[in-house]
Amino acid sequence: MSEAVLAVETPGADAPGVSGARQFWRRLRTRRAALVAASAVALLVLVALTAPLLTALEGQDPTTYHPSLVDSARGGVPVGPLGGISADHWLGVEPQTGRDLFARLVYGARVSLGVALAATVVQLVLGVAVGLAAGLGNRWIDQLLTRVADIFVAMPLMIVALALLAVVPTSFPRPVLVALVVGLVSGWATLAKLVRAQTLTLKEADHVAAARLSGWGTVRIARRELLPGLAAPVITFAAILVPTNISVEAALSFLGVGVRPPTPSWGQMLTSANVWYQAAPQYLLLPAGALFVTVLALTVLGDGVRTALDPRAASRLRVGTGRKGGRS
Amino acid sequence: MRQPSVIARRVAAASVSLVVAAGAAACGPEDNDAKAAGNDSAPHKGGTLTVLNSNPQQDFDPARLYTSGGGNVPSLVFRTLTTRNRENGEAGAQVVPDLATDTGRPNKDATVWTFTLKEGLKYEDGTEITSADVKYGIERSFAPELSGGAPYLRDWLVGAAGYQGPYKDKKGLSAIETPDERTIVFHLNKPEGEFPYLATQTQFTPVPKAKDTGTKYEQHPVSSGPYKVVSNENDGERLVLERNPHWSAATDAERKAYPDKIDVRSGLDSSVINQRLSASQGADAAAVTTDTNLGPAELAKVSGDKDLAARVGTGHFGYTNYIAFNPKVKPFDDPKVRQAISYALDRSSVVNAAGGSALAEPATTFLPDQKSFGHTPYDHYPAGKSGDPAKAKELLKEAGHGDGLTVTLTHSNAKDFETSPEIATAIQDALKKAGITVRLQGLEDNDYSDKIHDVKTEPGFFLAHWGADWPSGGPFLAPIFDGRQIVKDGANFNNGLLDDASVNAEIDAINKLTDLDAAAERWGALDSRIGEKALTVPLFHPVYKRLYGKDVKNVVISDWTGVLDVSQVAVK
Amino acid sequence: MNGFGGFAVRRAAGAVVTLLALSVIIYVVFYVTPGDVAQITCGPRCSPAQVQQVSAQLHLDDPLYARYWHFLQGIVAGQDYSTGTSVQHCSAPCLGLSYQSDQQVLTLILAKLPVTASLALGSMVLWLIIGVGTGVLSVWRRGRLTERLLTTVTLAGMSTPVFVIGLVLMIVVCGQLELLPFPQYVPFTDDPEQWAWNLLLPWLSLALVESATYARITRAAMLETLTEDHVRTFRAYGVGERAVIGRHALRGALAPLIAVNANNIGVLFGGAVLTETLFGLPGVGREMVEAVKVVDLPVVVGMVLVTGFFVVLANAVADVLYALADRRVVLT
Repeated sequence: MSEAVLAVETPGADAPGVSGARQFWRRLRTRRAALVAASAVALLVLVALTAPLLTALEGQDPTTYHPSLVDSARGGVPVGPLGGISADHWLGVEPQTGRDLFARLVYGARVSLGVALAATVVQLVLGVAVGLAAGLGNRWIDQLLTRVADIFVAMPLMIVALALLAVVPTSFPRPVLVALVVGLVSGWATLAKLVRAQTLTLKEADHVAAARLSGWGTVRIARRELLPGLAAPVITFAAILVPTNISVEAALSFLGVGVRPPTPSWGQMLTSANVWYQAAPQYLLLPAGALFVTVLALTVLGDGVRTALDPRAASRLRVGTGRKGGRS
Repeated sequence: MRQPSVIARRVAAASVSLVVAAGAAACGPEDNDAKAAGNDSAPHKGGTLTVLNSNPQQDFDPARLYTSGGGNVPSLVFRTLTTRNRENGEAGAQVVPDLATDTGRPNKDATVWTFTLKEGLKYEDGTEITSADVKYGIERSFAPELSGGAPYLRDWLVGAAGYQGPYKDKKGLSAIETPDERTIVFHLNKPEGEFPYLATQTQFTPVPKAKDTGTKYEQHPVSSGPYKVVSNENDGERLVLERNPHWSAATDAERKAYPDKIDVRSGLDSSVINQRLSASQGADAAAVTTDTNLGPAELAKVSGDKDLAARVGTGHFGYTNYIAFNPKVKPFDDPKVRQAISYALDRSSVVNAAGGSALAEPATTFLPDQKSFGHTPYDHYPAGKSGDPAKAKELLKEAGHGDGLTVTLTHSNAKDFETSPEIATAIQDALKKAGITVRLQGLEDNDYSDKIHDVKTEPGFFLAHWGADWPSGGPFLAPIFDGRQIVKDGANFNNGLLDDASVNAEIDAINKLTDLDAAAERWGALDSRIGEKALTVPLFHPVYKRLYGKDVKNVVISDWTGVLDVSQVAVK
Repeated sequence: MNGFGGFAVRRAAGAVVTLLALSVIIYVVFYVTPGDVAQITCGPRCSPAQVQQVSAQLHLDDPLYARYWHFLQGIVAGQDYSTGTSVQHCSAPCLGLSYQSDQQVLTLILAKLPVTASLALGSMVLWLIIGVGTGVLSVWRRGRLTERLLTTVTLAGMSTPVFVIGLVLMIVVCGQLELLPFPQYVPFTDDPEQWAWNLLLPWLSLALVESATYARITRAAMLETLTEDHVRTFRAYGVGERAVIGRHALRGALAPLIAVNANNIGVLFGGAVLTETLFGLPGVGREMVEAVKVVDLPVVVGMVLVTGFFVVLANAVADVLYALADRRVVLT
């Protein structure tokens, strides 16, 4: 058991002289899939940040109507093949309005990624803090925090959203409000439960027991002994939270408390594209595809980060079943 | 007005429209469509008709329903003094006798109306229907426990304003007299030539006092029509109707009652209803919907498929979507600003946002484009097909807004393609060309409805709609433009807060007419006159397109309801 | 046994506190949100006088605390109410009457609960099979085609809202291939076989949305466990790969799986709004959304209490399961 304590205590043990951060990057770099995923995420963020430039390049904007590009007699289905794809409209146009889909997609990335990532941060902070406190605290703290988490889990999204909307003035920036609602109502309580459960298990583990025996305080144990053990499940869960948050943002758009039109978001696009699946499939496939790529990239990246963070990754990959064996 | 019956055109996963009217909307077909609709073989009795709906038949109590012309499913169970003519198109916008022998006999100034019941009218239990039951049915609609109906009875009957229904006030309403078992006489506050139209609403359904169970009556209302309720599950979510053996076709010229059984399944998603109707498998082959239109996406698919296109009924219900101004709010106090917005409007992009030219017709008049409303074409501030930004700019300059203007447009977040964000953004885009910057204020449904109907919070510039309680200019114009109908401490519908003595006088004068054709003509002229004030900008009138199953025959769509009449349908 | 008894009592007390807190919050939220209950109940064209009558009828003029007190009284002692023609009794625990439909809230909920329970439990079975299965495969058969395919499908499921998956499945499976009927709820007690066939698509749609979460959690926790000393020891002793994974690694994944599943299932008992709406299943979730839209406070409070009850229950069950899975954990 002292061996386990050692392993955590001195993360650089297998590579003396190399700092934790540098080793992390070294490990991450050596994983090809993680690199590809990281590039994809970087690209998505870049697209979101440069949306105005990209649309200027295309010569379009996300809000201008093009009534002549849709067939009014047929419900407003885009004119021309493949949903109206042309040199002017790279990904075609939106049914009914004729708004440029490329522009809406890249501008939508701003809202969707921004809201989802900001909400994830809120969830991570709340979830880990509450979960750790519940897992390490005495019975009363645990009970209290568990009850509070239960209340948040049981409270329907719609009610929380309506309540916040009624209380917060309309001048408050809407995307921030949306991120807050998403972050507060969903995810964090589940994460807290997860952290609490993991903490309860870890608390009994030998190395933690050893640390406690040697007179360490709770906070120090949490930071030095538990957080590293929690990193794996938390990062895994964070990679799941992002797409879930995008879906919740869609649901909020639906309930009328999402971002304000005409600002596009992927969630909004999915919501209104749903019924167009047969008549104008690309309208649905574009936001769905964008979301899928995001999720895939984040998942693979999350895996990579988790492995790279974990000092025992090397041995795992050796003893593990991975016949393709990681090289580290 | 009638709440919009479901114009649920889109998968609104979480959206449930607040529909008080359980009786679904109406529809009127294009004549040739209607004929193509039914198969060539003649309709026969028998079979089960399935009705696939999104809104449950909640409050299946004649006192609580808010319908136009008695509703669709409700009209299978509830007969009323008069009813709508079950004919295609324009003829269907007429009022005809139902329980009564005629559409009512007015006194000289149309303040007293007398009806005589037909002979041999019976309830589902075989007991006789009497005029006292009709009176009792109307009285119980005043009970606060059974609220929900239209406001007219309370406004029109002498001494009815404070009446709280028979449960609290045993004396009843003295304004309704029943001198004998078959005669009923109504005494009105003021002349109302359109009383026969009002008598089509379900509040005019007889209710036997001995069988009244108050708020529980909706579970099993006693039928006077061709079908009776055999089961009502989950508050109207599934309603099964079977033949009422005591109904006699000899006393009912309007309801055909071909199927033996009607199975109403509701609570379905609108896109699923349309998928099921287009697949038309099993029991769905004999299915119709009384509340779900084809949405734009579904229309795009259906219009490419001949077989499906042949199973679409098209109709027009009297309904107008419009921009409303509150002239108490700057800068809309200036008629030039209101006119400029009129000129700048791009109706073709608004129509597209509403579902395209097949689902919406551009409107320049407040009254629906139908003869029974007295529709008189006008376009005082013509925007052409896609707007006249130059003319708009000129007016804005005259009004002192040469440098441009920033305004806020209030709309709802409902997924209804009427007052929803799609329409608002189309207007925003069009006004940009005239130098008007539009900020959008989207409100959650209840908030929207609270704000626009309260004179203290009414915004200056917002989206609104109005539907017909019956196909005439009266209930269409009076609540919106009659100065005496401004409500200061409750729900107000006179958006423009118009209180013009000459308009009020003309409304009173037309209400005196019992010649409905003559009245219609004057409603049309009045509409044009009010239009000059530019208090509203009419946007579009919706067109209802609905699929029905492949075994469905005898499709009749009147201009009154705009939707397939469930009492005429045959499935054999 | 004393330990368990104490646990049960503490949890029950905790549950009561949670539910009370939830109901207070809902009362306050409804007090601040827009929507004139009396006007909505009465109808859009009701006159002010008439709205006043309805308001009095529903006791909406009473102060908030009085209304809440009345609600608590109903739970403990039941309440009498008038249908207009007669007086009825709503026996304890009475959650009140719906403003809109005048039905007893408890009756309403009990009618909808079997639908929601069927949906929740069935899809839970599916997502555990698909999710945990994918997770195990992704450790055991890392890089193989099946594993990659399953991982991709579950990730695609997670990144697509349920109303998109459900509608596409319905169009393809029911409309075009005609493999299944369009879902229509059939009670289990009427016909178990039809019940299952009709719920298959809703189960699948929900399971597809959820399974990726379980796959990722399973995978992460198993990889974690595989590096632990005792597992190394097993391997060193020549314990087969299948046994190591099945018996030991999977056990390590139990704690996080139970934690996440407990919350998910608890919430689902409060209704899967989008799924229920899309498939037209008359469940708790759809009822609640409709009630929120029309500001039907008694129904909303009732529904939220049901969700709260199941969240608390599921978490208590989860805690018992942790203790069973890991003897070192003490029930608190």
